[in-house]
Amino acid sequence: MSLDLGKKGLDEAVKAGASYADVRIGEILDENLTVKNGVPEEVNLLQTKGFGIRVMIKGSWGFAASVDLTRKEVVEISQKAVAIARASNKTKKKPVMFRKATGKKDSYFTPMKKDPFKISLEEKMETLVNAERTVSKQSPHIKVSQAFFRAMQEKKLFMNTEGAQIHQQINWNGGGILAIAIKNGEVQRRSYPSSFRGNFATSGYESFESLQLIEHAEQVGKEAGQLLKAEKCPSTTTDLIITGDQLALQIHESCGHPTELDRALGMEADYAGTSFLTPDKLNKLQYGSKLVNITADATVQGGLGTFGYDDEGTTAKKVNLVKNGIFVGYQSSRETAALLELKESSGGMRADSPLAIPLIRMTNINLSAGDWKAEEIVEDTQNGVLMQTNRSWSIDDRRLNFQFGTEIGWIIKEGSKEKMIRNPTYTGITPEFWGSCNAISKDDWKMWGTPNCGKGVPGQVMYVGHGCGTARYQKVRVGLIK
Amino acid sequence: MITNRLLEIAERTVKLTLQHKADQAQAAAFLINSSLTRYANSQIHQNIATKTGGVAIKVVNGQKIGVLRAYSLEKKQIREIVKKAIKISKVTPPNKDFKSLPKPSKWTPIKGTLDKKTAECTPDVRAEKVKEAIDTAHSKSKIVRAVAGSFSTESFAFAVANSLGISAWAEISSTSFQTTVISKSNNSQGFSSAEQHSRRIRDIDPVKVATQAAEKSIRSVHPKKIPIGEYEVVLSPRAAAGLLMYLGYIGFSATSYQDGQSFVKYNLDKQAFDKKLSVRDDPRNTKTLYSFPVDGEGIPKKKVQLIGKGKVSTKSICYDSFTAGKEKGKSSTGHALPPTFGFYNRPIPFNLIVAPDNASMEEMTQETKQGIFITRFHYTNPIEPTKAILTGLTRDGTFLIEKGEITKPLMNLRYTDSMLSALKNIPMIGKELEIIETVTAPAMKLRKLRFTGITQY
Repeated sequence: MSLDLGKKGLDEAVKAGASYADVRIGEILDENLTVKNGVPEEVNLLQTKGFGIRVMIKGSWGFAASVDLTRKEVVEISQKAVAIARASNKTKKKPVMFRKATGKKDSYFTPMKKDPFKISLEEKMETLVNAERTVSKQSPHIKVSQAFFRAMQEKKLFMNTEGAQIHQQINWNGGGILAIAIKNGEVQRRSYPSSFRGNFATSGYESFESLQLIEHAEQVGKEAGQLLKAEKCPSTTTDLIITGDQLALQIHESCGHPTELDRALGMEADYAGTSFLTPDKLNKLQYGSKLVNITADATVQGGLGTFGYDDEGTTAKKVNLVKNGIFVGYQSSRETAALLELKESSGGMRADSPLAIPLIRMTNINLSAGDWKAEEIVEDTQNGVLMQTNRSWSIDDRRLNFQFGTEIGWIIKEGSKEKMIRNPTYTGITPEFWGSCNAISKDDWKMWGTPNCGKGVPGQVMYVGHGCGTARYQKVRVGLIK
Repeated sequence: MITNRLLEIAERTVKLTLQHKADQAQAAAFLINSSLTRYANSQIHQNIATKTGGVAIKVVNGQKIGVLRAYSLEKKQIREIVKKAIKISKVTPPNKDFKSLPKPSKWTPIKGTLDKKTAECTPDVRAEKVKEAIDTAHSKSKIVRAVAGSFSTESFAFAVANSLGISAWAEISSTSFQTTVISKSNNSQGFSSAEQHSRRIRDIDPVKVATQAAEKSIRSVHPKKIPIGEYEVVLSPRAAAGLLMYLGYIGFSATSYQDGQSFVKYNLDKQAFDKKLSVRDDPRNTKTLYSFPVDGEGIPKKKVQLIGKGKVSTKSICYDSFTAGKEKGKSSTGHALPPTFGFYNRPIPFNLIVAPDNASMEEMTQETKQGIFITRFHYTNPIEPTKAILTGLTRDGTFLIEKGEITKPLMNLRYTDSMLSALKNIPMIGKELEIIETVTAPAMKLRKLRFTGITQY
């Protein structure tokens, strides 16, 4: 990472009149491996290099970026960012204010034992081929069997006119397996450890190895076949138990997104939408039951949203979003923190590449562990449904009305799993749903990684984490498919 | 011309790859210049310009394939990238389904896909148009509280070469203007939005877009609740396009079809939809936004009748060379995605045109005793692709229609329904087509759509 190029970009911006500027230079390696039905469907490497310069002129923002890492291009792009900021001034009502940062010189590296990019492709592919083959053998109805691996390495340098100079290297990787069983047009799927290509963590290759895909392949394949014969999820209102792999997405959609302060302040109104968690509700709204405690924590070990500093130089931190059921905090940036007169940014500004502007993005949005064991929650349930592993999702533009489908479910009768059900779905309104939460586990609490969170225009895809176990909710509508 | 430079890079990369004793090689070089001015709370808050370029290389050794995409057009870096791609291809297990890279086919460029004024639009021009939209929306009523949206201008060019002689290129410009207006009256908020897409900036009319959004937003405050259930619906072109985009994604890709996950497979030659519904993927038609003459493998893009008078058939499926090679007698329809469109690793139609009929929006409303007008859908997702079951929500202007008139705003509703049911009875289709990104569609009226929830809090 060239300090000289970064300094050149900042100097040019200041020379052109910028009152503040930051530059991000980065290099990303993204490896995707997929084995499908016995053949390597995808052996891809994506390599991104580039830089982006963000400037402020008279209280308005401008941003420009390029893949061409030369001094000449840095000068041109810096001047372009300034011209863009001057154009932004044409609609200015209030100048942008933002909270101060310390301007640190520091570095951060994801702790890891084995660099995934130094593990041979043959070794990784061998694991995938064996896992996929095992999945495929479990039922004659399995028409698609897949195994996935993905590793990302992001090296980045952040510099700003306040003196910050931060080098980071973030590494994450993971994978999963999938079985799709089809009979007479009925399609059922099972995934491990989670849907949409698996589970991911900031770590070395050791986290992928710990997934033990081959050891879990038999169960995944068998369950996909069994689901074809299972009864449909009944249409009723009942107690609902959700396991961590689905609960992670529930937290993501119904707590992660609505607590993004840019959404709450209308800055995403044109695309993703706004939020029902408007500033007048801060420290007042009963978001959930007293058992519900949710944090944004960029420091938790292995979390997919764990780093040293965000993309405007704020130190990674842990902040409360929901405490004892009350909505108490937002995920924020230096600009939005100032708008709401918060002391400081929550450190959630992240860009998916040096070529994109940072936006408020989730770090690790975690539901704190409760007092229960997961199996005790089942044993304590007289009548209910247990749902596991996300299959579909949808939520409205204020993050209130959600509907999820899962891969598999079980009818719970008198404290035990009575029978497997297919096509489980549930729906609810966010604060009513979290308000009905009456049990949260501690023994199966773990980090789930979602590498595909979309936001912004133009769209950016971010990797975020969610820590949770199993939880139970009362009087939930389930079974929405006719 | 930028496409000449890209073609030279692609051909040079293929030659370089073959020097390393690869059996076959393909290279696609691309360059994107994109700018976007985004506004919220009635002022510009994000304003960006990005220049990206790179190459996507596919190296074949026997049936071993390595793919690498890198964001660089520099000679030295491309040499490094080629070496890495070669290495990947040598250690990859063979793909027994792979037959060959495609052979060249005759193709002709499409005239007028690149508008220089759009490609070279300045931030000042974008800011002026944004200001027009903001001022227009606020001028409509004092209850208009905030205007948000985005205005993008972009040029995209790519060139593809392969070791069997393919040498092809494409370039387009595109621009999108979107406005969302938020109104407020006695603690009740009203939302609406409008959008316009074109390849020429001169077509963009911020006053028209802002007026449409503002008028509906003002009428959307104090929304009412209605019982959930089945209703007749009048879909704006945006709402209709939203459903058809997902239908296109889940149904017509050869990958979904071959995997048994497409509803098309289970409805071949049946009357799956209303006879009035005909949808084609027509890439050379300049009424579509992303009009390319060739696909990401340099194969000429072919017109595919996805739905013909309500029926789907084996001819409805979109192939790239790999998926075509898996079925006897099939050839690519030119649906390999261009480089950088690679989020979905499968052939997908993205030039959908719904055949218009002769109804106006007013006639559709007048013909409705009790129904719902929908401006657009939000967060649509498939629940069961083989049954074409989708769920999603209404957004930005949902209104009750009573006795042929729009009477009151409604709270946003969630629908959960099979499109094989919802699109089976389409009494009216509009005559005016609108470009909504990958789908060009008219308004349409559906006899019933099943609503399963309402957003109330």
